[in-house]
Amino acid sequence: MLRKLSDLPKLAITALIIFAIINLLIGVVLRYFVGAITDWLDVDPVPFTWVEELGEMSLAWLTLVGAAVGIQQRAHFTLHVFTHKLPPTAQLWIHRFNHALIVGVGILAAWYGYQLCLLNRTLATPGLQLNLAWLYASAVVGGILIAVYGLAMLVAPPPQDEPLHGTE
Amino acid sequence: MMLAAVAVIFAVLILLSMPIVFALAVAGIAGLWLGGYPMQQLSSALVSGSQSWVLLAIPAFVFAGNLMERCGMSHALVELARALVGWVKGGLGMSVIVVAYFFSDICGSKMAEVSALGSSLMPPLTRAGYDRRDSASLIASGTAMGMLVPPAIFMIVLAQVTNTSAVALFVAGFIPALVIMICLMAVVYIRARTNDWPVDRRPSLKALGHASLHAAVPMVVPFVILFGFIFGVITATEAGAVVAGYAVAAAKLYYRNVSWRDMGKIAYDSAILTAAVVFLLAVASVYQYLMGVSGVPQMLGEVLGPLKAHHWAFLLGTALITVLFGMVLEGLPAAVVLIPVVFPIAEAMGIDPIHFNIVQTAAVGIGLFLPPMGVGLLMALRFANLSVGQHFRTYIPYMLALFAGLILIICIPEISLTLPRLAGLIR
Repeated sequence: MLRKLSDLPKLAITALIIFAIINLLIGVVLRYFVGAITDWLDVDPVPFTWVEELGEMSLAWLTLVGAAVGIQQRAHFTLHVFTHKLPPTAQLWIHRFNHALIVGVGILAAWYGYQLCLLNRTLATPGLQLNLAWLYASAVVGGILIAVYGLAMLVAPPPQDEPLHGTE
Repeated sequence: MMLAAVAVIFAVLILLSMPIVFALAVAGIAGLWLGGYPMQQLSSALVSGSQSWVLLAIPAFVFAGNLMERCGMSHALVELARALVGWVKGGLGMSVIVVAYFFSDICGSKMAEVSALGSSLMPPLTRAGYDRRDSASLIASGTAMGMLVPPAIFMIVLAQVTNTSAVALFVAGFIPALVIMICLMAVVYIRARTNDWPVDRRPSLKALGHASLHAAVPMVVPFVILFGFIFGVITATEAGAVVAGYAVAAAKLYYRNVSWRDMGKIAYDSAILTAAVVFLLAVASVYQYLMGVSGVPQMLGEVLGPLKAHHWAFLLGTALITVLFGMVLEGLPAAVVLIPVVFPIAEAMGIDPIHFNIVQTAAVGIGLFLPPMGVGLLMALRFANLSVGQHFRTYIPYMLALFAGLILIICIPEISLTLPRLAGLIR
């Protein structure tokens, strides 16, 4: 059950990137092909401004949820200057300190994201009339996930593999 | 005072091996708190920084690049380049540079490119009798040059950070890359003559036709990008979608070697890379906000005032700093930390934004492949099983060629500006 739950953010970002690309392709088809056909038939054009709104919103969600998953995957750019040469105990404490700060960043992002949701809940996007709170909710969910993944990394032992000469 | 504290916190956390993006976030939060600015700026920047139409090109190009690499398109390009120039003196070496140029067109990520070229080119170079040090140098310098060939994620990020047209930047990159390519070709030719490098057999017409046919599938991509932009038909983001759609069609209908499950895995990997890049940009916007409200660009503008009359000196100075940043911090963190500081000064000096961005792109490309820490070079050396020290002397002429190309790009703005001007993208 817990394993399936932990797979959810990974499935979500995979679905979001596929959705974002398909949405862009639909935009291209609507703009260049459907637009030309409706012009030729002299009928009302099919609107496609919603493509931009959906695309931007999916990128915001993909970024904030993906950034959290990236903590576990060690996908964020990191510089290893000297810490990998320190004794294991010192490495462990530095690892814990770094991830405690990451948890703090996640909590702050989620809390102030929640404030922004409240502030913007009466506003809507111009095309699809989507409540803007849905956009700012990405900071809340992303922030919570950053804190959760940071906490999971904090209690896990530091990675033992050799970094690629300074960067991973 | 506040900015000094931010810089110290950032530096200490970087030294403690905290991921750069979170070091920036913690330093940014400290700056907001110390300066008494609203803390909501953090979450607001995270959302507004990642909600961008231009940046939507990144997931599309990253996915397309990963998929095309997985299909084995790099092999088709290698075969064509060998058939075309492999049989002249130094031709196999030159073919590496040619492949790097065209492969950059279909692959948006430098690390993926080094990995693809290293795995597909190192074995034939070794079999042909090339010294491993030269092979690694060819792959590293060729990929560094390829930084300028669109679509590069770095260019999309630069376009976003400097509020410049991504399309104009893409179009501008083709000729500067060609200039560096010519400098590298000259080095390859001289080394081939002095060291008597081996050559391939001249291919038959049938073999050449076969190689061309196989390479036609990946070669469609640069033409779609170049002509789509020059004729103003598509935007950078739309080009990303078209290339991604084309990659899926090529993988399923032509290569038929990628299952839907593999494609899901590629989508997941692309999502993680996209998130890492865009999140970095979003977090850096907090830091840019702090610099803006503290008047840093104006302050630096006054300090660098004497350089105003000499654009080349300013560009050379900033390019050298970017090379160092690119070597130490990697390209994208360098872009979000350094470029927002120096770009307003360049603009105030009257330097064309496209020229400035092309110079910085070339500089970051060199930095990524500069010893002793350039991460691209280190990856290329892994394929050759060499240390930085063993490789350094052989790499010097290649580095000189890269720097010669960079200086030409700095001193002759027309190299960067002619193509976008002809396309009507800039005045």
